Formats: sequence, structure tokens, C-alpha cells
Amino acid sequence: MKLLALIVCAACVAHVRPAGAQSITAEAAVTGGYSTDEATAAAVQARLFGDVHGVRFFGEVAWANRWLSDSDHETDSFNAAYPYSNQVQAIEAYGERLFRPRGQLLGLRGGRFRTPFGIYNGSDHAYSGFLRAPLVRYEEYAPVANTFLENGADLVVGTPRLTVETAIAAPGDVGEIVRRSGVDGVVRVQGYFGPFIAGASYMTAPLAEGSLAAEGRNHAAGIDIRWMHAGVQLRGEWISGRPFGEKKSTGWYADALIHRTMMGPVTAVVRVERLDFAERETGSEEYLSRQTAGVRINVAGGIALQLNVLHQSGDADYLPHAVDVAVTWSVRKPWKPGKPGEPGEP
Amino acid sequence: MWLDAPAAPPAPRADAPRVALDQRNLTFVPHVLVVRVGTTVDFPNNDRVFHNVFSFRDGKRFDLGMYPVGTLRRVLFDQPGLSRIFCNIHPMMAAYVMTVDSPYFARTDESGAFTIAGVPAGAYTYHAWRPGARAELSGTWSSNDGPLQIVWP
Repeated sequence: MKLLALIVCAACVAHVRPAGAQSITAEAAVTGGYSTDEATAAAVQARLFGDVHGVRFFGEVAWANRWLSDSDHETDSFNAAYPYSNQVQAIEAYGERLFRPRGQLLGLRGGRFRTPFGIYNGSDHAYSGFLRAPLVRYEEYAPVANTFLENGADLVVGTPRLTVETAIAAPGDVGEIVRRSGVDGVVRVQGYFGPFIAGASYMTAPLAEGSLAAEGRNHAAGIDIRWMHAGVQLRGEWISGRPFGEKKSTGWYADALIHRTMMGPVTAVVRVERLDFAERETGSEEYLSRQTAGVRINVAGGIALQLNVLHQSGDADYLPHAVDVAVTWSVRKPWKPGKPGEPGEP
Repeated sequence: MWLDAPAAPPAPRADAPRVALDQRNLTFVPHVLVVRVGTTVDFPNNDRVFHNVFSFRDGKRFDLGMYPVGTLRRVLFDQPGLSRIFCNIHPMMAAYVMTVDSPYFARTDESGAFTIAGVPAGAYTYHAWRPGARAELSGTWSSNDGPLQIVWP
């Protein structure tokens, strides 16, 4: 046997990054969209994340805007996880440490992060193939909106199969509907059993600004479940709370994200949902029901196409039918401090 | 980088070290992994978000579904070829697993150098591949030639 030393002079090389090493990744996404719901939209998100000296960090800023052909028209198109309010806004900015003592899980997070209630990660909504947030998470009447953010601390303890997450923070919401200043408390329990992931969440938070009630708090509760098998993911959430005080908002959604390996770059999505709420001004009880079918296609070069077709009923302010179309281009640049970047994506 | 070895033993040894393609900070680590046919690769999730690892093009086709931080799924790479690995939730996550039918393979280090130990003296057909390359480079090399140098066009 003989030891051979071989040398390759390559223009690009793959980088080995052992666990715990420093790494930083920059990422940007640019989106343009059009909806027959009388809206045209554009958005840019920039992210920076990685490990530095054992501390994970994540930062994201976003700008987005919508142009409505009728400024009085009501629509939630292109609002899956980001506010379209024509402002550059800090979305998340946090550092965290994860510990795995004897197979257990302990996570500490501090900074600005999405409210850890239910299915809450930005990636669970922004990249999933839906161009609109679930009604029960759309900021206008949602008991817990995707645009809710927390400035504070978050603790996760448990095992990979059962975790308890607790957050104490001050509201740092973005978008048109923001909560009053004060202190939030969120508790979430999550279990992972075979193909099922189930959770229950509770939040106590200040009421939203614009509430008729002078005092009081929004006590929101929710349950969520996810099931995954062979490229089919089923999700559902039920949430109830009083974002504006006396009147309750209660809603649910169930959706399917279908991505069998034979479908290649195509992901199909289907959602049914309903939100029961009370008009802030009049107090009259109303509802909005929606059914959505859509597709997301990951085209080469970081380009993704999304198409949603939806039907809705209930609130007369919303059109009965709409088609949303969007194109997103994403680019990523990873590097280690003092090292050149990695080559492009497949 | 790998050398053809049709006479080599047909499968990895049972005590071969475990191979992992980590999911950390919304990134697959390493970006490129080289394994021998018959190797089982661990896909641990070390992020607090869920990932959904899949491969749909050529190479090994699979979809691992979602699983949370602290857990892992495994995939047996039982056919040679290039597998392009993605996450269905995070479209910018991507990696490559090159499965080779040879015990003589290596991944280059950051300077472009690598070492393959235990290669018997003789003549070999070599193959080299890198991300972004339209096709792999191939050629012949003999242990009598000294160190092998390859320059990408």
C-alpha cells in the first residue's frame, strides 16, 4: 500500500465548516407581485445570520410597498410574513445560544424576534407558496398577527420531542396595526410524535392601538398541528383572542403543501380558512371565509414563481375572487471571516 | 475527486465513520459531501426552525419531511451520481452529495489540496468535479507520475 499525495488546483473549492466555527451568511430576496385584487407590490428583504464565537445571530430588515388602484379597497394580498407599509423596518435581530446537555435542549435568545406563538417562523409563511397570511394571522383583526414582534428574551427547554418555550418581552410590532406599549408574555408547548408536530400557545399582551377599550389585555390562546409524510405536509391552526378588547376574534386554517419528489421544483398548496371578528367601529359581528389553491415553482438561478387563486365570502369589503402572482429572486453569499465565499448554488 | 477502482471491495466497512450533512444557520454544512456507494448519511437539524430536506433531480431521490431541532433523518446513498440537496422551506439552502463507486476519494481543502490514503500503486482513471462545473473532469494518472495536478478550464 502506498500513500499518495494528490493536488488539485481548482478555481473554486468547497469549504469545510466544522460545528462551532465562525460563519456569516448574507442573503437578499427581491419580490414583485400583482393581484387582481387591485394591488401591485414590491419588496426587498436582507438578512445576515451565522455563528460568531458560539453565539448564533440573525438579523433581517425589510422594505415593502403596495400600490392599490383604489386606496379605499381592502386587501391582504402579499402579506404573508412582511408588512407592506413603504418603510425600511427591522424585522428580527437576535442572538441565541443552544445547549444540548445529555440529549436535552436548552436555548436562550435575546433581542427582537417573532412572537413565538403557534406556527410563527417567517419561513413557515413567507416561503411556503402562499402569498397571503392566514386570515387568523393577518394584522387587521388577527388575535396574533404575523407582524407581531417581541423585544425581549426567549427560553426553550425540553427535549427534541417535547419543548416548552417562554418569552417575556415588549411589543415591537411592524405594520399598520401595532400593540400598545407594555409587557408581553408568551408560553408555547410543542411535541413531536412520529409524523405529527403539535403545539399549544398562550399569550397575554397589551391591546392594539386604536382599541376602543381604555384598559385591558389581549389573552390569546391557540393550538396547532402539523403532519408530514412522503412530501405532503398538512397544517392547521386555531387561534382565539381579543386584540382590540371586548370583542373576540376567532379563526382557523387548514392547509396542505404538496411536494412529492416526482413534482421536481413544483410545490402545490391548498388552504381553507375562516375568521370570525367584530368590526371595531360598529361592533357588528362578521366573518371572512377563504379557499386558496396555488403553486410555487423554484426556477433555476434563485428565482421562484408563485401563483395563488382564491375565493372568499363573508366580509363584503373583499372581492369574491382574486389571483395573486409573484416572482422572487434570492441570492446568498456565505463566507467565513477572512476567507473567500463559497461557490454558487446548484 | 475520486479514482476508479473496479476491483475494490464492494461496500464501505461497517465501522466506517458516520457521515453527516448538517443543517445549521439555514445552511447545509458542508456545501459539498463525497461518499462511497452504500454510505448512510445523517441529516441532523441543528436549527430552531424546521427544515424539509429533499433531492428530486438526478442521483438519490428522497424527501425527508419536517423534523425539529435536535433530531435527524438518515438516507442511504446506494447509487453513484450527484445528488442536489435542497430544503423545501428555505429555497436558498442547497448542497451536493457526490456518491462515488470507489473507496479512493477525497474532498479538497480550502487551498485546493487533498490526500487519498491507502491507494495501491498502479494506473487509474481519475474524476474531478466542483460546484458550477457543467461536467466532471476525467483523465488517467499513474502512481509513477507523482502528484496529480488538475486545472479547471
